[in-house]
Amino acid sequence: MIPSLNVIFPKNLNEALSLLSDNSDSSKIIAGGTDIIPGLNQELNRFKEIKNLIDVNQIPELKGIIRSKEKISIGAAETFSDILQNDTVRELFPLLWKAASGVGSVQIRNRATIAGNFVNNAPCADSVPALLIYNATLEIESLSSKKEISLNEFLSAPYRTKLNRDEIVTKINIPFADKNFTGEFFKLGRRRAVAISRITLALLVDWRDSVINEIRIASGAVTPIGARFFELEKYCSGKKADDQFKKDLSRKLAEQIIKVTGLRWSSEYKLPVVQQVCYQMLKNIESQHEYGI
Amino acid sequence: MKMKVEFKLNGANVSVFAEPNRRLIDLLREEFELTGTKEGCGVGECGACTVLMNGRAVNSCLVLAVQAAGNEITTIEGIANGDLINPLQKNFLEFGAVQCGFCTPGMVLSASALLDKNPDPTEDEIKEAVAGNLCRCTGYKQIIEAVKETARLSRKN
Ligand SMILES: Cc1cc2nc3c(=O)[nH]c(=O)nc-3n(C[C@H](O)[C@H](O)[C@H](O)COP(=O)(O)OP(=O)(O)OC[C@H]3O[C@@H](n4cnc5c(N)ncnc54)[C@H](O)[C@@H]3O)c2cc1C
Ligand code: FES
Ligand code: FES
Repeated sequence: MIPSLNVIFPKNLNEALSLLSDNSDSSKIIAGGTDIIPGLNQELNRFKEIKNLIDVNQIPELKGIIRSKEKISIGAAETFSDILQNDTVRELFPLLWKAASGVGSVQIRNRATIAGNFVNNAPCADSVPALLIYNATLEIESLSSKKEISLNEFLSAPYRTKLNRDEIVTKINIPFADKNFTGEFFKLGRRRAVAISRITLALLVDWRDSVINEIRIASGAVTPIGARFFELEKYCSGKKADDQFKKDLSRKLAEQIIKVTGLRWSSEYKLPVVQQVCYQMLKNIESQHEYGI
Repeated sequence: MKMKVEFKLNGANVSVFAEPNRRLIDLLREEFELTGTKEGCGVGECGACTVLMNGRAVNSCLVLAVQAAGNEITTIEGIANGDLINPLQKNFLEFGAVQCGFCTPGMVLSASALLDKNPDPTEDEIKEAVAGNLCRCTGYKQIIEAVKETARLSRKN
């Protein structure tokens, strides 16, 4: 049963920010509600103190997807279904498109918002590895401040972020890459739809004459929170991309994952899978390069 | 404290008072006696509670009743024409896509939202549209066939 509370429907960002700043200890934003409503219903600790829900679905400043010269800006309250309909996302950020298409089911995607996904910051949040790999940044506002920080910096621990209680994420900015990237997004869940991700990996490779110019690697679900592997990325650049390299990188990635997770009961089955998946993804990326897809 | 909620329900303007912690599914079943909307899991996984919100399928167990304000909600009772079932419902019956029937209202609404947007869906598109609706009886094949046939007939007309 959902505990008794108030729901408020501000009509613009300023109104929402004032409401938050007045009662920041007992108020929480609700967007699609797909994390909050089941959470309240199950009386999870994370949602215990809430007295006021501030519904952001009618706030125009949090809506819309705008393409400019150097980036795409996605309104924080855009749903995954809206994002899937955007051609720029599909063409230029295919891994984000793929991640969005795998969230829950049509019913979930019609409500679930992109900001709700990474603010909730479950280990299995599918948008996280896809946004990390494209170097996404977030615009965050409170009544008295406005800032932009990278998603990587924003995420701190499972179900925790650097968001202050009086702040709202307003936009997600994703810069267009000046590289010739080809990529893959992989999600392994327990069943096809409505699957909580068990392993997610995202890879982007800029491959020149079989030498790695730049590679980006991000994980979700296997690591406690979505993460980039910057050291490993650096190690790869300039390497000749032969089969041995693909095997090496896959093994090193699995090792890194052990390092960040500390061995968990599930690691035993996950690690060989990660290794195999990474290798297969690199092969797929290579053949996309060759055939110029 | 109860809040006034005004919205469009199955084509008619309605106005009710609802507790803010009440879910849309409870409002529909208890206040409006629209019991075609079923509760299976209560956590967004089974789709038995599917309704259309502004033409898009949503789980009514994950929407607060007060969030319906200003929106258009369609339940299974609203897609039939009075006592006359619509072609999708008819094909569900003809193809044996209804067994215990618990998943059927949600399934029909998901399929109906798909056909409104995409009158000529591929089999994969149909599967994707109903992937959030679990059926324990039919094995889905009959459901997919019923949706295909509805699409085929409506294109012919
Ligand atoms: C059945 C089911 C299946 C699911 N499957 C998947 C899946 O496959 N992959 C996946 O990644 N997720 C999945 N989810 C989780 C969920 O749908 C997503 O995390 C969703 O994106 C959350 O967004 P929301 O708008 O519903 O968030 P809400 O529940 O409204 O909010 C979530 C959190 O974000 C905060 N918040 C929301 N918007 C803002 C904002 N603009 N500024 C600041 N804070 C904000 C809220 O205060 C709250 O803490 C599933 C959920 C269910 C119920
Ligand atoms: S009852 Fe709502 S999805 Fe199962
Ligand atoms: S007909 Fe029984 S659950 Fe689908």
